[in-house]
Amino acid sequence: MSWTLFRATLHQHRTSIFWFVVGLVFYAWVMTWFYPTIGEEYASMIETFPPELLAIFGGSEVPFSSLGGYFQTEYLGIMWILIVSSAVIIYASRSFAGEIAAGTMELVLSQPVSRVKVALTRVAVLIVYAVVLAAASFMPLEVFGPTYDINLGWDVALTLMAFGTLFILAVGGFAMLLSAMFRGGGRPGAIAAGVLGTLWIADLLSGASELADALDPVNIVAYWQPGLLINGDPVAPEAWWLYGAIAVITLVASVAVFARRDVA
Amino acid sequence: MGVISTRSLTKYYGKTKGVADLTMSVPTGAVYGFLGPNGAGKTTTIRCLLGMLKPTSGAAEVLGETVTLDGASLRRRIGYVAGEVHLYERETGRWHLDYVAGFRGGRGALTDELLERFEFDPTRRVKELSKGNKQKLALILGMAHDPELLILDEPTSGLDPLNQEAVYDVIKERVVAGRTVFLSSHVLSEVERVCDTVGVIRGGHLVAEEGVKALLGKRLREVEILFGDPTGPELLSGLEGVDNISAVSETTLVARAKGDALDALVKRIATARVVDVRIQQASLEDVFLEFYRGDTAPVTGNGGEER
Repeated sequence: MSWTLFRATLHQHRTSIFWFVVGLVFYAWVMTWFYPTIGEEYASMIETFPPELLAIFGGSEVPFSSLGGYFQTEYLGIMWILIVSSAVIIYASRSFAGEIAAGTMELVLSQPVSRVKVALTRVAVLIVYAVVLAAASFMPLEVFGPTYDINLGWDVALTLMAFGTLFILAVGGFAMLLSAMFRGGGRPGAIAAGVLGTLWIADLLSGASELADALDPVNIVAYWQPGLLINGDPVAPEAWWLYGAIAVITLVASVAVFARRDVA
Repeated sequence: MGVISTRSLTKYYGKTKGVADLTMSVPTGAVYGFLGPNGAGKTTTIRCLLGMLKPTSGAAEVLGETVTLDGASLRRRIGYVAGEVHLYERETGRWHLDYVAGFRGGRGALTDELLERFEFDPTRRVKELSKGNKQKLALILGMAHDPELLILDEPTSGLDPLNQEAVYDVIKERVVAGRTVFLSSHVLSEVERVCDTVGVIRGGHLVAEEGVKALLGKRLREVEILFGDPTGPELLSGLEGVDNISAVSETTLVARAKGDALDALVKRIATARVVDVRIQQASLEDVFLEFYRGDTAPVTGNGGEER
């Protein structure tokens, strides 16, 4: 890994990292602050919603009226996915394809640094970015929670953070692989967002469509059930394996593809 | 073995030809001009030499090492200034200098000298810089570490005449110090001025490679003859390698002699009464245009022989 490139990459993304972190911390605080206000009415309110509507917000597997159900449907099920996916897709798209199209990759590759090092460094920054985003998402629940009678415990917070980090890396790794394959940041970003959107729709249609069901084994959106962890229940072990496998395979593949491609 | 050596270097972008069957050698300590219009394959060649593009076939050696896509150690010995300067717009010149220094294990030995010579202010952000100042920064980044080989792709683009002079001076000084410069350009006066040898690339092929002086001296001459009696253009007709024959006045003819045709031309005009003869070496631009005529056969090899 190149420390020069690592520092420079973090420096260049400092503004977006800062604002995504501020946004996630603020969003998490608002959700914890809002919970006691709505807590007693939440269960009765949620019962008035049709299940299809709740499914849209990612609350299909968690009891809706529970604390986990609240966070899943109001925050983590859809909004959080949109926020963190946007962050890492933007970063990943720029990492290879965006820099090649902008011409700045030529400056990098005219220096004495190997392509593998360049790619590994960009992957390392993605991992740091994923950990920071996950920490900004879940640590506030533990920090602000006790003030509003939400006591997750550090073990749950850390498990959420680990699960969230893997999810972010799976999305980011896929976008990174596309970025290593294409020229110009727009196409990898659009494809990654399109695939994520397709998986979300497939999750909604799960049980009603054979095509959607066929995607179930690899549907990272369907496996994203942090509400279960908040309630103290385990998530499916396949979810950990799926996220981990996608992250590792796509990130290794992105390094291999970038090391062999034309840069111009 | 030259500093740069290619063997049948070929690069296709899908079905589009970038460069084809390029074989050339750049000697140590020379300024090699790589001449050609936009789209001729100059930048493709340079990117292959730097390991940014993988050749479709053929190979290249630079500074004795075979060029590969992952040649970090080789790039430590090369300085490169891209044809189109792309820098990080939000960062300052100083940031870029530190960035490159980080990769190269310290500030380049020539950094301060080049900053002074180009009168460049490194505290300003790139987005605030004019095209010329961006070019200056790119030149400083490429040349500051005093590389064994400088690859410059249109290095004076956007620079004012004073800074163009500064670039030429730096190039000459580097060559005196034993460095080699590979200069891609379509500015003929630039090539004519600083290069020792020129390779002309057309449609992806190297069509000529020759010393600049020899190229200027041998290839084309404009001849103006003042006769003592009225003489028509037919006097010079039928001479191989002589064209553009026209009568300026009743007693004055002009013509262009290519290659060795001058000998035959002089012998032919000697059949009439000659008052004066003026022979002018054609500019490199004329030579260049000759090469770029679509129906002109490719020329190659040392000495500019017709292929």
